[in-house]
Amino acid sequence: MRSRKLYVFYALIVISILTLNIRFYILQIRHADVYQEKSAKNSIRVITQLPVRGNIFDRQGRLIADNRPSFSLYLIPAQTTSHTLEFVTRLLGLDKEKIRQKLRRAGPFQPVKIARSVRPEILTIMQENILELPGLEWRVEPRRHYNIKNGFAHVLGTLGEVDEQELTRNPEYELGDIVGKKGIEKAADRYLRGRKGFKYVRVDALGRTVEEIKTAKNSPPYPGMDMYLTIDARLQQYADTLFQGKRGALVAIDVTNGEVITMLSKPDYDLEYFVGTIDPQIWQQLISDTTHPLYDRACQSSYPPGSTYKLVAAIAALNENIITPSWSAYCPGYFQIGRKTIRCWNPEGHGTLDLLGAIKHSCNVYFYQLGLKIGIDVWSKYSMLFLFGKKTGIELTNENAGLVPTREYYDKVFGKGKWTRGMLANLAIGQGELLVTPLQLAQFGMIIANKGTYYTPHLILKLVDRITGEEQKPEVQAQVIEGVRPEIYELMHQGMREVVDGGTGWRTNIIGIEVAGKTGTAQNPHGKPHAWFLGFAPFDQPRIAVVVLVENGGSGGGVAAPIAGNYLRKYFYYRGMFDYRREWAILKAIREKQKQQAREDRLRQAQEVPEDG
Amino acid sequence: MAESWLKRIDPWLLIAVFGLIGMGLVALYSSSYPAIQTGKGTNYFMFQVFWVIVGTMVMVLVALVPHRTFFNVSYLFYGISIALLILVLFVGTRGMGATRWLRLGPFNIQPSEIAKVATLMAVARYLSSERININQLRYFLTASLFFLIPFLLIVKQPDLGTSLVFVVMVLPVFYWAGLNTGNLFLIIIPFLTLIASFNYYAFFGVMAILVVYLIYSRRPLRVAIFNFLLNIFIGMITPFLWNQLQPYQKKRILTFANPESDPLGAGYQVIQSMVAIGSGGLTGKGFLQGSQTQLRFLPEQHTDFIFAVIGEEFGFLGVTLGLVLFALLLFRIFRIASLVKSQYFSILSVGIATVIGFHMVINIGMTIGLLPVTGLPLPFISYGGSAMLTNLGMVGMLLNFYRNRFEY
Repeated sequence: MRSRKLYVFYALIVISILTLNIRFYILQIRHADVYQEKSAKNSIRVITQLPVRGNIFDRQGRLIADNRPSFSLYLIPAQTTSHTLEFVTRLLGLDKEKIRQKLRRAGPFQPVKIARSVRPEILTIMQENILELPGLEWRVEPRRHYNIKNGFAHVLGTLGEVDEQELTRNPEYELGDIVGKKGIEKAADRYLRGRKGFKYVRVDALGRTVEEIKTAKNSPPYPGMDMYLTIDARLQQYADTLFQGKRGALVAIDVTNGEVITMLSKPDYDLEYFVGTIDPQIWQQLISDTTHPLYDRACQSSYPPGSTYKLVAAIAALNENIITPSWSAYCPGYFQIGRKTIRCWNPEGHGTLDLLGAIKHSCNVYFYQLGLKIGIDVWSKYSMLFLFGKKTGIELTNENAGLVPTREYYDKVFGKGKWTRGMLANLAIGQGELLVTPLQLAQFGMIIANKGTYYTPHLILKLVDRITGEEQKPEVQAQVIEGVRPEIYELMHQGMREVVDGGTGWRTNIIGIEVAGKTGTAQNPHGKPHAWFLGFAPFDQPRIAVVVLVENGGSGGGVAAPIAGNYLRKYFYYRGMFDYRREWAILKAIREKQKQQAREDRLRQAQEVPEDG
Repeated sequence: MAESWLKRIDPWLLIAVFGLIGMGLVALYSSSYPAIQTGKGTNYFMFQVFWVIVGTMVMVLVALVPHRTFFNVSYLFYGISIALLILVLFVGTRGMGATRWLRLGPFNIQPSEIAKVATLMAVARYLSSERININQLRYFLTASLFFLIPFLLIVKQPDLGTSLVFVVMVLPVFYWAGLNTGNLFLIIIPFLTLIASFNYYAFFGVMAILVVYLIYSRRPLRVAIFNFLLNIFIGMITPFLWNQLQPYQKKRILTFANPESDPLGAGYQVIQSMVAIGSGGLTGKGFLQGSQTQLRFLPEQHTDFIFAVIGEEFGFLGVTLGLVLFALLLFRIFRIASLVKSQYFSILSVGIATVIGFHMVINIGMTIGLLPVTGLPLPFISYGGSAMLTNLGMVGMLLNFYRNRFEY
């Protein structure tokens, strides 16, 4: 009896042991590779090592932006206690619930970055309490540091954490990356960013690094390229001082190669605001500011160009043989078109003017009539010939193309035959639907100065590999505006010289350098007119084209021209072509002479009185 | 003299037991290695060495006592263990949501461990009596009562895993004591009903088998009707019982069905254990080289999941050796059960084999994802003083029985 039952038990033992052993066979022999991979993934973690972002220099190697170490705080979800969360969020002023959600989304041992650029005093408090703060970690990460800030906010632009859109557009980006958000930092991000390094480490179940693994897959980070801008930092900063309390832009282009020497937009903001996490209060202030300090006026905004655009109408009329330079018109101070009367800026009228006179005195009535003679199609053709209505192709990504209205445009907006000749008259003096950016106008200045030759305006002078020292320069080739006769450019030069030499732009005059230019005072619905100045210098051998815009500044000759003058003074001073002392001496002499003249006049009057008496 | 002394001990039993203890110590050394190296954390290895030494002394002592002693103290021992189980409900130490331990100076004793042996001894004594026929209902119920009392007390703690041991012990012991196959079937069928009751069709299948058997076996009508109604009743109250389970118990059973459903919660342990074992491959990663073990991905690695440590570091070969040792141990115990003249020894041996075998199957089955996580330790291998002393005490009894195998 016992022995039969014994075999039942023996069988049970064999069955159970075999069942278990078969299961072990399946796990350890059949599927060993699957579990080995899982096990390896369990304990091996790839640590990303951030590269140092490239430094930014000006054209002469002055350091504008480099990198400094900063501390980022991380929490490891599995180890973070509610006390840690409470303590850290209170100290940093973060939203506890948001951080809690962030932690929940991450893996239990995956460190979650909760703050960048933590202030040293806060870090010290954390370090003192680290024993009571399980799950808290910090890492040293490079962050942007600005050596020169004034005037550079819009050109450089800001850095920030990559967003969803950028992630999908650029497969190289990863969540949490710091990338260029605006300006040249964004445009040249792929050069500046460098390449991440990867380090394989073995971690325990708590995510602590146990050892570094030596494998061929380890790679050190490769620093981003250093970037030399075409901008001259001294001039950029100087231009910044010229715009104290004003809104507007200044763009200066080297006409011999298209290098942008200065590109300023005011108002701007402190670049430091955007290093680390921006204070929400400051952010709120910036975006609700009615002067829009985050907007780059130099190339992102477009404006009616005002009288500076009369040059386009003049070139079109001459080149199409519609008029000769001696064609004249009479300005009584107003112009009647249909039932509407449009006024010239000078209510007393300019009298009879030829083309050069009309440019010099910026006579609106002359150009109204000229505009009517040219017609919309020729006007649009020449506007586009001089590259208005399309982007200049500067590196910046937020460039505005402006707007050149055409016959089709008007037909579409107002309906066929519903628009009037008055609109065309308006276009000829740079008003109406026409919109240009200061950068486009500066490019136009370069084309005029070079008599048709131009280079794509650019901001990157060269890129230097920090390891190999290899240099990379953008290729900029001379391009030519075809079909405009050289003598027409000559005539424009002459006209523009006269504008500065005794015309509406006389305030740009500088002693020793011949400047040519054109003022503009653009009416707009936002208040006082925009003040414009477009010019180049020196007259005989142009070197630089400059555009000044002062938003709602008033008259071009009164507000924009002196800014351009001061800027050019500084520019030529640095080139050794202008001497402040000489100008002062001459100005002093002139003033002395004027005083003496006045004295003599008074004396003569005094002498004349008795004769009368 | 020496030869006769040697003949009186079972060498294979000792080889199996100390082979397993040796494996356990190796695994514990490995899982305590970080603590040994850094001096921080609990060095379970050293504690276990201590328990093995004490346990071996207990084993020798038990092996040497006069063989009638066990029979004589059976009821007393049972009474004491029940008293301890009641005591633990009032003054026990809480841990992991249950009250299982009694503090005794520096040690924590787990009365449920002692109760396993005591219950077996008491039942064995009762059943070994000549006039007891287990196939008669009143004797059957009386004998069952011996299991039921500690079972209920342990369920109350609650310790589902250990209480299950008292359920499982019933069958082999009764079967060995003479329960006939038909009655065995009637005992098993309610458990099948219990499992089947979660599924409509399975439940009716089991009921059909029962009805066929009842008609075929020509049992008295009242017996047939009673059994039929009993099973219907069980099938109906099971959903109610399910709701009585602790949430963590439900979770364990549900997670067992699909460990990936909760990879960071209850399923985490099983997944990590399977990864540890699977990644060991044929020969393992090597002693102290298991990343799952050394880097603490493997949870409860000194108690519940210690077999995964062996699986990871010594691979399929190490695991097979362990299973062979367990098989050898169980074969030897059943051989002792069949050799001894005393019916008391024989029944007690089968009980001991059942306890050890059940623990082994449940624990190892759990580490490889075959069975739900119940928290039963692996005999001779898992860390734990009470279990080690009880298990070695049982081995001492077996040695004693073997020594006195010709005694009635």
